[in-house]
Amino acid sequence: MKISIRDAGATKIVEIEGDVDLGTSPDLRRTLFETLLEAPKLALNLAAIRYIDSSGIATLIEVLKDSQRRNKEFVLFGLSPAVQHVFHLTHVVRIFQVFQTEEEALGSA
Amino acid sequence: MTSPSLHLKVVLPSDPRYLPVVRGAISPLAAAIGWDESGCREITLALDEALANIIRHAYHGRPDGLIELECRGSDDGLEVTLLDHGDPPDKTRICARAIACDQPGGLGTHIIKDVMDTVSYQATPAGNRFVATKRLRKTI
Repeated sequence: MKISIRDAGATKIVEIEGDVDLGTSPDLRRTLFETLLEAPKLALNLAAIRYIDSSGIATLIEVLKDSQRRNKEFVLFGLSPAVQHVFHLTHVVRIFQVFQTEEEALGSA
Repeated sequence: MTSPSLHLKVVLPSDPRYLPVVRGAISPLAAAIGWDESGCREITLALDEALANIIRHAYHGRPDGLIELECRGSDDGLEVTLLDHGDPPDKTRICARAIACDQPGGLGTHIIKDVMDTVSYQATPAGNRFVATKRLRKTI
């Protein structure tokens, strides 16, 4: 799994590539929690994820709850088919703000 | 004509780095039995979740435990057996999360039960045995 971070105005955009599973989700969790402290809004690009398991989904839920506690915004965009499938299976899509494109995600505030 | 059954048996360490290896094997196996891409993805996810549960709950993250994985495929479907020698499963804590809830726990068990047709956990003298089956529903 590769993680990269860039700025788009006041928003931090985190991009993930590869597999998110029990072995890699701790790195993702650490990165997202740290990055959330640095900006009022965090947008996560999920377009290049080939695989995500329940530990990855649980990480996203934890970050969402932390963002709400801190009065910050956490949004998702570009869900790959693999991510969409697991979101559907776990019925979590309704709890996140999900956008198709980065432009839409950045304009959501 | 009935095809010969498919049989895969692997012993792997309880190290998460082996999870992609198993995913790489189970998806083609499910495809060979007859599932489409979506079915293969679901079966792979369910098996991955079962292995992750063993790593987390039976071996508590220790990477040096052993997990025996056995898959038997036929024209009718797939049976997956996992055997480990860690702590036995606490059946009172094996619970799927509520649908559409925003709590992070219990997702893996929910996925396993949702994807597979039958799921059982049993503590045996040989170890903790997880067995899950899924029938191949043929479309005419």
